[in-house]
This record gives sequence, C-alpha cells and structure tokens, in this order.
Amino acid sequence: MNEPALGGMVGTPLDRCEPLFRKGNTNCGGCGMSITLQMLRHAVGERRVQLIIPAACAAVAGGTFPQATFGVPTLMTTFASASAAASGAASVAALNGEDVRVIVLAGDGGTFDIGFASLSAAAERNEDILYICYDNEIYGNTGGQRSSATPAGAVTTNTPDGKAEQKKDILAVMAAHRIPYAASISLAHAEDTHRKMRTALDQKGFRFLHVLSPCPTGWKSEPALGLELVRLAVRSGLFPVYEIFDGKRHVVNIEPDFTDEALNMYLSLQRRFQKSGLSASDLRPAIDRYWQNLRALSGRIVPARRDA
Amino acid sequence: MTVELLSANHGAALAATLAARANRKGRGFCSGVYPITPSTECMEYLCQQTIEKGRVIRVESEHSAMGVCIGTAAAGARTFTATSSNGLAYMFENCIAAASLRLPVVLAVANRTMGPPWNIWADHSDALTLRDHGLIQFYCADNQELFDTVLCAFRLAEDRRVLMPVMVNMEGFILSHTVAQTDIPHQAQVDDFLPLTDIPHRLDDVPHTLGQIEVPHQTEMHRWQHHNAMLDVLQIYAEIQKEFEAAFGRRLPDAVVAYRAEDAETLIVSMGTIGSTAERVVDKLRAEGQRVGALRVRLFRPLPTEAIRAHFVGKKHIAAIDRNIGIGLGGVLWSETRCLADPATVMQDYLAGLGGGDVRPEHLVKMLADLVPRRSAGAPAIMEAV
Amino acid sequence: MEYKCPADSLASASTIPLPAGLTLPLEVRVHGRGGQGGVTCAKLIAALFTEMGLHVQTFGDYGSERSGAPVQAYTRVDRSAISNRNKVYRPNHLIVLDEGLMGAQVMDGAAAGSQVLLNSRASLESYAVRFEHYRFGVIDATAIAREQGIGSSSVVIINTTILGAYARLLGLPLSVLERAYASLGLAGDLPAAQQAYEQVHVSEPVHGDFAPAAPAASPSPLAVRSLIAHNEDIPASLKTGSWSNQVPIYSEHSAPCNLACPAGNDIVGFIQALKNEGADKAAAILLRTQPLPSVCGRVCPAPCMQGCNRATFDGAVNIRSLERWIGDHSHTALAPQSAAQRKRVAVVGGGPAGLSAAYQLALHGHAATIVEAGPALGGVLRNGIPEFRLPHEALQRDIERIVTLGVEVRCNSRVDKVDMKRLQLEFDAVIVCVGFGPAHTLGAKGETLDGVEQGLDFLDRMKRKRVVLHGHVVVVGGGNTAVDCARTALRCGAASVKIVYRRGREDMPAITDEIEDAEREGAQILPHRQPVEFTGAGMVSAIVVAEVGAGTPDASGRRRPVVTQNTSTMVCDKVLLALGQKSELDLLPDGWTMRDGRAWHGDRTLPVWFAGDCATGDGTVTHAIGNGRRTALAVLNGDVLPDEAPAKRVAPGQIRFSHFDVTPPHKDDQTARPALTFDEVNLGLASAEEAARCFSCGHCTKCDTCLICCPDGVIFRTADGYRVDGEYCKGCGMCVAECPCSAMEMQEKNGVAA
Repeated sequence: MNEPALGGMVGTPLDRCEPLFRKGNTNCGGCGMSITLQMLRHAVGERRVQLIIPAACAAVAGGTFPQATFGVPTLMTTFASASAAASGAASVAALNGEDVRVIVLAGDGGTFDIGFASLSAAAERNEDILYICYDNEIYGNTGGQRSSATPAGAVTTNTPDGKAEQKKDILAVMAAHRIPYAASISLAHAEDTHRKMRTALDQKGFRFLHVLSPCPTGWKSEPALGLELVRLAVRSGLFPVYEIFDGKRHVVNIEPDFTDEALNMYLSLQRRFQKSGLSASDLRPAIDRYWQNLRALSGRIVPARRDA
Repeated sequence: MTVELLSANHGAALAATLAARANRKGRGFCSGVYPITPSTECMEYLCQQTIEKGRVIRVESEHSAMGVCIGTAAAGARTFTATSSNGLAYMFENCIAAASLRLPVVLAVANRTMGPPWNIWADHSDALTLRDHGLIQFYCADNQELFDTVLCAFRLAEDRRVLMPVMVNMEGFILSHTVAQTDIPHQAQVDDFLPLTDIPHRLDDVPHTLGQIEVPHQTEMHRWQHHNAMLDVLQIYAEIQKEFEAAFGRRLPDAVVAYRAEDAETLIVSMGTIGSTAERVVDKLRAEGQRVGALRVRLFRPLPTEAIRAHFVGKKHIAAIDRNIGIGLGGVLWSETRCLADPATVMQDYLAGLGGGDVRPEHLVKMLADLVPRRSAGAPAIMEAV
Repeated sequence: MEYKCPADSLASASTIPLPAGLTLPLEVRVHGRGGQGGVTCAKLIAALFTEMGLHVQTFGDYGSERSGAPVQAYTRVDRSAISNRNKVYRPNHLIVLDEGLMGAQVMDGAAAGSQVLLNSRASLESYAVRFEHYRFGVIDATAIAREQGIGSSSVVIINTTILGAYARLLGLPLSVLERAYASLGLAGDLPAAQQAYEQVHVSEPVHGDFAPAAPAASPSPLAVRSLIAHNEDIPASLKTGSWSNQVPIYSEHSAPCNLACPAGNDIVGFIQALKNEGADKAAAILLRTQPLPSVCGRVCPAPCMQGCNRATFDGAVNIRSLERWIGDHSHTALAPQSAAQRKRVAVVGGGPAGLSAAYQLALHGHAATIVEAGPALGGVLRNGIPEFRLPHEALQRDIERIVTLGVEVRCNSRVDKVDMKRLQLEFDAVIVCVGFGPAHTLGAKGETLDGVEQGLDFLDRMKRKRVVLHGHVVVVGGGNTAVDCARTALRCGAASVKIVYRRGREDMPAITDEIEDAEREGAQILPHRQPVEFTGAGMVSAIVVAEVGAGTPDASGRRRPVVTQNTSTMVCDKVLLALGQKSELDLLPDGWTMRDGRAWHGDRTLPVWFAGDCATGDGTVTHAIGNGRRTALAVLNGDVLPDEAPAKRVAPGQIRFSHFDVTPPHKDDQTARPALTFDEVNLGLASAEEAARCFSCGHCTKCDTCLICCPDGVIFRTADGYRVDGEYCKGCGMCVAECPCSAMEMQEKNGVAA
C-alpha cells in the first residue's frame, strides 16, 4: 500500500507546518496543480523556499492583492520569463549564501511553449533552480487551447476536431540539456512523488519535474477522478514515470501493466477524447515505441511490454 | 578620481560596475545581459569585470535579460542591463513588468532604429515606446554625462520614494561608440554616494506575492501611486544632484539644460546629442546677432513640465527637433511639449536624423531660417525638406 | 456581446409575443458559479428577447474565477439600441443559479416587485417571508439537470434548465425557448427546461413599504496599500466552501465479511485492532459477539472469506485463522456488565448456541444456567468434531472463558417435557438450544447390518475411546460430518475410505479445505452416487451404489438428484452414515408449539425461546453462535429480535485496489502434518501479519490518503480521525474517490435556506 511513507509523515515535525498552497485559493476543485503543491509541502518540510510563477493558472491561484495564497514568498513573472527570473533570484540567494530553494511552478504553456527558450537557456546554464511543470496538456488559464503538450486527438477550444500533432517529449528535451536531474511524476503514486520531489529539492543545479496534472475543466472529466486518471495513464504506459540523472542514466520508477483496459478507461473518462474517438489501439504503437526506446536508455534489454 | 578614455558604452558599464561593487556589503549585484548592436560593448565590458558578490548572467534573449533583472531585483540585489532597439522591444513587457512591480532596474539604452528593414543607427523611437509605462528616462549628450547619469540612476531608482526602473539613453554610435575622456571616481566615493540596495517588498521569508492579480481599483491606485512617485522624481533628482556634487565635485546636469535661453526670442528644444549641436548653433547665431537659445530635455520621464514651461515663456519661435517620429502625429518631444509654450509662440516640429543620419549645425541653421519667418506653426517638417 | 436585430427578424418576432406586464428597458442579472453556465444563461435570455424583435445586450462579469467561484452575467433588453455599457446595478429580474450564493449582496438594487428566480431544493414557503416583496420563483434545477446528466457531478450545469422556469415566470409558453436554445446549440437540454417549466413554484409579491438594498459602495481607492509597502503576510480570506453544494463525510459502510458472518462478528473491527493494537485489543472486540473464537477459528466454514473483497484481487484474507490467532493468543476476557434488573434464564443445551446464549446473558449481567444432558459442555464440539480439527484444549479454553463469567452449569441433566414445564416456572425465561434431533437414515436395504453405523455415533465413540478399524470404509454423505468420519476412519486404521455423495463434489456442503485435506489424506470421493443396498452376512461386506443423475433445479438452485438404475457393487467392511439430522423436538410439553423461535401455548407466547439448530437448522457452529446471541438479546429486550440495520455494503468496485500491493494470503501452517495421528492437522498462522492484508472495507484506517490527496489541504487530523474544513472544501470529491476502503462519501449540503 502506498500510504505509509507519507501517512507517517503528514502532520509530524517532518512536515511543513504551514501549507505551501493555502486554503481559500481560487483553483478549480480537483486541480492537479493544487495536489502538486500539497505534495510539495510534504516534501519541502521546513526548507526555505521561494516560488517563481509565470502567467498560468498558478498565477491566478496566487490570489488577489494583497492576500497570499502561497505560504512562501512568491514572484509572478511574465509568461516567458519564469526561468530567467528564477535564475536571478537563485543567483542572489547564492551570492548571499542563503539556503533557499528557488522553485519555478509553471504550466505546460509556460514550459513547453512560450517559456521554452528561457527554460532551455537556464537549463543549459545549469542554474540552481527546481523547475516544476504541472502539465495539464492545455492552456487552462485562457480557457482551454492547445499547447505542444496537448496529446493528439484531444479537443481544445482551438482544435475543435481534436489536435492532430503529438505531444512534445519534454523530458527527453530536458535530458538533452544534461541537467543533473529530470523526472516525471505521477501524483497518483504519492510515495514516489514524494521521494523524487525531495531528491530534486536537495540536488544542486537545474532540476526538472514533469507532473501530469489532471484538469477536470480542460479534460472534461469528473473532478474526483483526477488521480485515477493519472493512475490509468501510468498503468497503461501512456505516461512513463521515470527519472534521468545527468541526462544519461534513465531509471523507470513505476512499471506499467500496459493494459488496453487501462488505456481505454483513461480515454473514456475524459470527454476531450470523445470526438476523435481515440481508442487504445490508436495509441498503443506509439506507447510501445516509446517504451522500447526507454528500455534501451535504461539499459534493460527486455521487451518493452510484458505479456500479462 | 582618474580620467580614462572610454566609449559611452564602456562608461555605462563601468558606472554599473562601480555601483555593483558598492553593494558588496548589501545583497550584491546580479544582471542578465544579451548583446545587440550598438549596446553590445556595454554588456561585454560588464562581463569582463570582476565584481565581488556579483554575477552577470549571459542569457539567451533580451526578454530573459530583463527577466533575470526582475528576479534579482525581487530578490533584493542591485541590477543593471543594457540594450538597443529591437532588443528593447523584445524586453518591452518585462520592462513594464519591472516598472509595475516597482523594481529599481537600471537600463542603459543605446538608441537605435527599430527594424526590419534593418538599420543599426541612432533613433530615439526605440526608447520612446516605453515612455508611458513607469520607467524614468534620461537622454544624455556626452560621455561624462552618460557615466554620471548611470551612477545617479542607481541612487534614484533605489530611493525608497522612487523604486522604479531608470533608463539612461545614449544615441547609438553617435554617443555609444564615441570615445572621450571620462572622469572616473574611486570606488570609495561611489560607496559613499550609493547606499546599499534595500528593496522593501523583496522576496524575503515573509509569505507575500509580488505581481499577483489585482482588481480594477487596486490597479488604478497602484498606477496613481506610481505616477505620483514618478512626479516626485523631479524634486528627488534635485536633491541627488546636490549629493552627487558633494560626492564627486561636479554637478550633474539639470533635468532640463538651458543654454543662453533666458533672453532668447527663438529657442531650439531637443534631446540627446542634438542638444550639443544646438548649443554650437546658438553660439554661432548669437555671434551673428540673433537672439537664439537652446533647451535640452535630459529628463524625459517624468517630464519637467514646469521647468520647460518657464523656459518657453515669451519665446517668439520654438523649434522642436525630434530624432524620432510618432507616425501619424509627428515628433514625440514636440507633441509632448507644445502645450507648454505660450499661445502666441510659433512652435514648429522638425524631424531630424531619423534612422541615424547626422544632424549638422547647418541643418539646424536651415531649420531656424525656415522657422523665424513663420507667423504660425505648420505640420511637422522633415529636415531634408526644409 | 450584442445582438443586432435584423429587420427581417421583426416579422418572425410576431410569433413570440412580448410577455404581459413586461416593462422596458429590462435589466437581468444572473448570479452563478464558474462552470455553471451563468454567462450562457444570460446569453440565452438575450437570444430569447431577440426572438421578440427587441434590442439586447449581454455580457459576463469576467474575472479570474475558476470553476465553482461566484460569477455574474447581465442582459439588457430595450426597444431601441442600448448604449449603457455598465454592469447591472438595479436588476428587474434576478436569476440565482445556486442557493449557496444567496448572501445579502445578491439582492443588491432589486426593487420591490422585481422578479427573483432561485435554484433551490427548498420549498417556496421557506423563502416566503424573505422574498415577500418580490415576485419569487423557486425550482430545484440542480436535481433536474443532474438527472439529465448536464455537467459534472460536482459542478452541475443548470442554465438551460432554469430558463424553463424563467419562461414560466415570464408567462410565455415553453416553445419560445426552442429557437434560442437551437441558436446556441443547446437544443438537447430542452427536456430539462420542460421539467423546470412544469415544476417551478411562484409566489406573487406582497405590496408594502420596501426599499431595495442599495448597491454596495465601492471600496475607497485610497485604502489600497502601495506595492512597495507590500511585505506582510495576509492569508487568503476567500471562503471557497461556498463554491460547492456537496461535502465529503466519513461514513462507515458494511464490509462484506461483517455482513456475511452468521455470528455477527465485527470482523473488520477485530482485524484492524489485531493489526494495530494486538491480540488482546482484538479479542476485546471479537468477544463481544463471539464466545468461542478458538473453536470458530478452526471449524467455521468462514462465509466471511467467500465475501471478502480481497478475494478477487489476490485472495481472501485468512479471516478464520486470524480469529483463531486471537482466540489462541489473547489473554483477555470481557467484564460482565451489571444489569438493572437481573433476570434468571435457563439455557437448555450446552452446545454452541447454548454457550453463546448463556455467554451473552452473563455478559449483560444476567444469571444464566446451562442445563446440559451430557457429562460436559460443548455439544457437537465435544462429541462430534474430531480432535485433529479441534483439540480439546482449544475448546476447553473457550468454554472456561464462558463459565468464568458466572454461568451456572448443570450437566448430566436431560430435559424432558416435564422438566421443560418446571424450568419455565423456575426461571424468568428459558432458551432451548438442544440442536438437531436424531440422525437421518437412508432407508436402504441392509441398513441395519452390523458395520453400518451413524457417523455421529462413530465420532462420539471415537472421542471417548480410541476405535480401531480395518478394511474398507464407505462414508455416505457430503457434509462436514462425512468428511470428519472419513478422516477419522483413516486415522483408525481403515485400509481405504470412500465418500459416497449423491451430488457433485462442488456441491458438498463440507468446508472446502477439509474436503481437500481428506483427499490428501487418502479419502476418495465418489460423487453422484447413492447407496441403494447393503449386503453381507450379519456384517456388512458390500454396498450397492446407484449412479445419480441431475434433475430439475430445486429451490436452492441445485439440481435435484435422480437415482438411476445403473448400479455397481463395492466391497466394504464399514459404513458410516452422515446424512444429516432431523429437526425434532421431543421436549415440548403437550399443547406447546414452536413458531418464530418461540414457544406458544395456543395463541399465547411463553417465555421460552429456541435457538441454534433446533430453531433454525442452519447447521454450522457459527450460525448457532449468532442465533444464540440474538435470542439471548431478544430475551433481554422482550419480544422482538434486535434488528441490526446494515449500512451500505462495500462492493469490490468501491475498493481502490491500486492503493494496495499484491500480497498473497498467509496460508495456515500445515508443514508439520503428522502421519495421520489425532494431533491437530492445521497449526494455524505463524504470525498475525495476515491482518495487514485486510482492506478494512467501509471502515477508516486513518491511512491519511484523504489528507494527502486533498487538493486544497482542507482535511486535518483529529484525535479520532479527520476533519474536513467545510468553509474551504470545494467539494471535488477527490478524497472520497481515493479513499482506499470506501469509508467516505459525498453528501449534499443542507438545501434549506439559512
């Protein structure tokens, strides 16, 4: 059971006494970004933290002036500048010998798209930043347009027939920067999430966490089923959960069962895939290819897909 | 105090370096920089300096250069960057963000024509796009003034009553690449002149959010507060001039520099290096018996309206010389200052040196020859057509 | 958005008349929540009035609000072009999509006589006083829209529904909505509008002095703190709890094991206690209902394990052996309560039912006297179940615990009709727990030959004194007695043992594990056969068995056995009959009858109850224990058997299997299986680790999953569980969906207006 590690920690001195993301925030119910921040709270503990947030739902989540929804000092930047501003804040902290973790919290738009240049540059400079991308695969803040993180087949407000192109493989891109640590995170696996968040928090240099962040509004799914959707994405192999050290060593953290049942369930629980009528068989070849590559990278000479 | 031969670009970078070092006992110095002609030399020079408790981050774009400065200023450090034309346009939203977040970034701009079509030469139109967004703007006329103004810009930007970015403008090549003697103060003098950077709303350990959502009346009031702080700069600048003089033994030029203007019937009003050309023309024409004077608007934001109005009083003719064009209206300096002239004054706009052309004394003479016979002002005129 | 009114639409407009009494200009304000469709609602109203040839203007008060946050939208209607670009401050019509929004500011600017339409499940009357100055309509649009599946379960979209009620309020036929809906692609929602049209309740305004609330004054602009002075922690004050109409609650549901347990044991309770606090704490729970844990932990057929939700995942929890573990490893006993009025009750029969009844009586502080025919307590446990399944010490330990409670025991006292009458007078009540009557016989030829013996007699004999058998033994029957006979026979020296059963092997009522054990030990099962004759000269030497076919299904669904003419003969030296027992009571005095578990004299009840097999014929120790307990409680409470209303049963689909690792069950230790001795075969579990496998269906384990996955961090630990901060909970339901054991559920907030 995956509860005890965290279950034994919440509400104890190991945990942060104040939340990172406070009640009274304006995020939708069941928001994956909210869950990410609650998980992060448990991982952060009493470490000093600053948040840098570009235009995103997270910027709105910061609440209305002068109230603070984030329980740590926070800077809202322009859409494309989070990595740059974080570079600055982290440098100043370093110059002053302050043990502060500067964390960027950005959506997929601010990461995969408009913020990509500054993200890439900060990664290339190996700035001392923990970059967390909560990827809800859509421009949620503007009401649900496609991003380069939107999967093929998903209907958005500007791809009414479903997006034609594939999702960008952001983790591979980040690995190509040879940053010390990059990992994908499944919120449905709290223990693994927690471990990797702590690893990332305590690592120096540029760290990148890619969180599949359920978005009931954009995915047109039940708010309560967000974590279950993530679980299905992981189980089916659609969302590989792994970590990459120094751009080289690939470690798969959670083994999928690669079942079509999980994949079809994932698709059917979200109305964004309804129109394109996507089914497991449409996605399976790409998933298999991805995993073949991932197996090779992780040094495991075994078939990508185990037969059940 | 030592005298060095420096380009204005290098002068700006050196002033920034001295200011940076002066904050070594504070929260240090950190900047993001990105090259663009003709301001490249400035960032190069800065990158070659050793700055205790300082870091210059070589980013991938001007947008990120200002992005870094926002992050460093928000973290409480002293910060500086330099750019030109399209670079400034690319960092446009971050310049506004820095201003609206009330962060004291000092920005040296080597003014250059916006492209494409590409043109690397001087034009004030790049900086003027930012005139309405809460950045203080100086336009300089020579190397020493540029150096001194950059130094003073840190003092002004970081003043608790001000807290907003300061742009220090120099025309590309004409000033940015011109090498001249520059008096360089000792570090100790700079240390005395510049207090340690102390940004009251910086990210510390208190949970608070910079730049979060505001409702209309909050934004309205924040703009109003910003505006009033900007207006206060006129007075605060005057205070800083005195302290600057005490610290370095020379006077910072006034916000508006008048030259033989008091008894003039005809006044040439301009910004930047055209102002020095105008002074030469004034001398020449005065020698010929014409009552001509010159007025150089050094501080364009806040616009010293009362000082300008005072100099405009009683003039028969005023020639506004604009190295810029507000397309569809005319020169920006003219359009902003014409309301300050007496109703009886004939104030004519001349567009000169757009795209970096040389504005020579004879051009100004021709303009005045065009102006003086006029009984009423016409539409803005272009130098070559006069 | 503004709809221009094209000239040609004026012609078609004549099809929709202006509502009577409509004064123009009209200003409509819609209060809703993000995602509920408030803006679309205002658009639909605009589309509706466009159809009447009027000029309209509609817009939403856009903010950064998220799904569930309060939002407003406006529609203006006039005969000529509308130039007012402000929000609506003095609405003529107010539509409130969510009763949770009904704060004071919602009514701002609404003058007396304005129309107010509210989505609420509460009655018109409950709002009567508050809205007496308005023309007021109320409709439960949420229920209609939810039923029609419009929106998601946490944010139901009700705009199209409530407009049906609006049309009614305007006095227009519902058909006016058709084109407006079609224009926005919402024609599919018309049935919901239809329902709302029919169900809305409207009250007319009471005329009188009334000044509308003035719109809230704008906050003083000078109060805004400067950005450069903003370095103070001011926590968010937005009460997001009002965004939702539902909240999660912690609510126990029935675990299938608990529901299946004939004894009524709180299985989840004792296993969780065992896991967390050890055997003694577990025993404290188990012993409330179970006086014989060491016994039941060995011999119970464990219907709980068949119902276990873990069965389909990785194998049922080994509940029976956990019960045994507690029985064998605990050193605790419950203290008897003191009864206000101590009753004296005779319990006739010291078998499982009698022991359970006496135990419960004593536990509740009453005087119980067991009158037992045999030399010692235990009944079938003592004289039926073989030692290798139920060692004497285990039984004795359980019995001693009962007797120690203060139960009086009279052994060697067989109760007959006369005694029965006497007991009834001597005691306040009598509970008869004498078990089954005599054993069934086969009625086959040669059944009286020597060597043909009732299995129960054989087992009883065996328990008193070691019996030695030779040759081939045939056991007839398929229940536990048959299997016990077979296994005992093997241990007594039989050369072979065959179990002849008239139905299929899968139909054998004996415990599956026991059947397997018997086979493993060498017994052979011959299904679909029935003895029709025993032959032999004085002593049985052969048995003729007929094949049995499957007939039509009986009431239980099992196919009726049909004996065929195909017979075969088997050599045998011993036949043991295990065909079950008759339900006969020979101790009822004349004139008494038994009905509904009680003794009757004519139509008068007597203070005499029946429990266990003699009352129910259920045939298992566990059923007898449960029935004994319930009967004892019935005696104490009067007439009616206490009815335990079961909470909702937790189905396998309600368990989050993904929260659990696949862990096969801990099997009982049978490694020390002796070579067919009378030592106990099954040594039980090696540890209590198996308890950790329990899903704790329907019962909170304080695993923190709800707390960890709550997106808004509004679940907090308390001394005895968790607290949900309803002021901030947005009602997303994540905690309920993620609860591993289905111990939570969503609850509608009270719909009655404050």
